[in-house]
Amino acid sequence: MTYQTALAIFLPLGLAIAAIGSAFGLGRAVSAAMEAMGRQPEAADKIQLGMIIGCALIEALTIYALVTVFVLQGKIA
Amino acid sequence: MNLYLTEEIAQHAIEKAKEGAPELPNFITLLYEKFGKVAFIGFLHHWENVVFSWMIVIVVSLVAYLAYRKRSIMPGRLQNLVEMAVEGLDNFVCGILGPQGRRYTPFLGTLFIYILSMNFLGLIPGMKSPTSNLNTTVSLAICVFFYVQYTGIRSLGLIGYLRHMAGDPRDVVTWLLVPINIPIHVIEELAKPLSLSLRLFGNITGEDVLITVFVGLGVSALSFFHLPIGIPFQLPFIFLALLTGTIQALVFTLLSTIYFSLMLPHEEH
Repeated sequence: MTYQTALAIFLPLGLAIAAIGSAFGLGRAVSAAMEAMGRQPEAADKIQLGMIIGCALIEALTIYALVTVFVLQGKIA
Repeated sequence: MNLYLTEEIAQHAIEKAKEGAPELPNFITLLYEKFGKVAFIGFLHHWENVVFSWMIVIVVSLVAYLAYRKRSIMPGRLQNLVEMAVEGLDNFVCGILGPQGRRYTPFLGTLFIYILSMNFLGLIPGMKSPTSNLNTTVSLAICVFFYVQYTGIRSLGLIGYLRHMAGDPRDVVTWLLVPINIPIHVIEELAKPLSLSLRLFGNITGEDVLITVFVGLGVSALSFFHLPIGIPFQLPFIFLALLTGTIQALVFTLLSTIYFSLMLPHEEH
């Protein structure tokens, strides 16, 4: 197996695994935010702001994997 | 007018894809392909991101100056709009930093407006987001990093800053934990600009690459007929890019504000 083959198989795989992790995390974060908004609708704006920030932080970990793909994908061909 | 301009665009995207992430041509790239021998166009192409950043700087400064010039108690339309933006940003920053946050509002508010404009610039055909290049985001993150450290040293004093880095030791247990706390805090302070820059860069580049891929798809869908247009498949992704561009600008500014609030003295001590 050449390094191009290895990169071509494992770069998208690594990104997909990172996406699975962040999907779990985002699901928990958004469901907790929805529940909190249902309990106390007058705090909905603050909860929504916190949810957006939390989602961006969780998403950032998948973005790191995406950046690795960008950096290495030129080496495949 | 060249009827095959869209095919040139698709060709250009394909060629760019061989060297790096695919990217739509912008007006500097098109000028470079036609007049590449001219020294000025070569200079513009080499400093592409700086040119686009300067365009944003000039436009934002112009809007601010025009709103300030004929200010009155009864604001006109432009002054009203700018005042709404400034007041919103001031509330946002002071909501996290308290009333003392007023002195950091100019920096953080400008950061938000600048990053938002740069993120949106890439969605205009013929332009490119400077934030889709790692250099721009790293320089923004480094500015925030140095300003936060300077604020810490200025408001806590040098001794207080070092105590803060050591985890504020008060009793025997925390004094014993100082050799662990110092590397943890130093690495945390260094990881903050790293995560800020990579998050912004990755999101904006990801959105731009997504739009580019769908433009190529739309053009190649009609390539059989050699029409000068392509099906606009990229339209929903432009809306997605509007959303994520706003969110990423907000997250960058909010995290910078939180780093300031972590460095400034807390009230519970």
